[in-house]
Amino acid sequence: MDFSPRHQVSKTSTLTQGLERIPDQLGYLVMSEDGVLASAGDLENDENLASVIREMVTAACSFQGLGDQMPFKRMSIVFGEHSFFVTVSGQKIYVVKRQNVVREPISV
Amino acid sequence: MGCCYSGETDTGKVDQGEREHLLPSNQTLPNRTPNGSEPNSTNNPAARTDEQALLSRILARTAQNIIDVSAVESQGMEQHECMDRARQYSTRLAKLSSNLTHWKKLPPLPSLTAQPHQILASDPVPYADIQQVSKIAAYAFSALSQIRVDAKEDLVVQFGIP
Repeated sequence: MDFSPRHQVSKTSTLTQGLERIPDQLGYLVMSEDGVLASAGDLENDENLASVIREMVTAACSFQGLGDQMPFKRMSIVFGEHSFFVTVSGQKIYVVKRQNVVREPISV
Repeated sequence: MGCCYSGETDTGKVDQGEREHLLPSNQTLPNRTPNGSEPNSTNNPAARTDEQALLSRILARTAQNIIDVSAVESQGMEQHECMDRARQYSTRLAKLSSNLTHWKKLPPLPSLTAQPHQILASDPVPYADIQQVSKIAAYAFSALSQIRVDAKEDLVVQFGIP
């Protein structure tokens, strides 16, 4: 396997290219079984969050109520000001932190 | 193994052997006095200026932090001894790791999507949905907290005691 820096950089950039362009994105994190592959913004080097998210994904994936179907496509963890969106693709966990868009006050 | 402990029993030797340092402790280093203080600092204080005392203190501190491998007396670790020890360590580790359920490999993650970027970039969960779920959870919590035992009869009944 080629572990030269250039190879690493090109691999990482394809991983994160799309993540950079996500609207209201505050940071992202990509991890494999072995650890964090890429991170930026608020989630830069956040190993603690990475391990928490990994546990949550493992727990969520263990709900096998739907048989062979994918249990879900995305996990959203919603806080007041921001949300974490998590998905799994190709044995990699993708996490994006996004600002919650300001909602119009509802007039009754 | 462990020439320092050659007088001990077999089991003792095994335990000591794996805890034995590969390099002897710092006390054999030439620049260090046994109690770790700077050498000769109190013997002739009059002869030294403050600057010299300061410099020697820095020197002593530096010497404490350095392990001079070339100055360390060799313990005569033969190559086969190193191999033996490596084998011993790996058998111990293998024995331990089989007992550690915590470190068992997790099941592989399912692939939830082929387009992770699109999935993450799509619209967040509508606020109304979150509100509805919160409301239902609050109702459920309130209902659960109101469950209680309604005692209508005596909880303790006496059988056939005259």
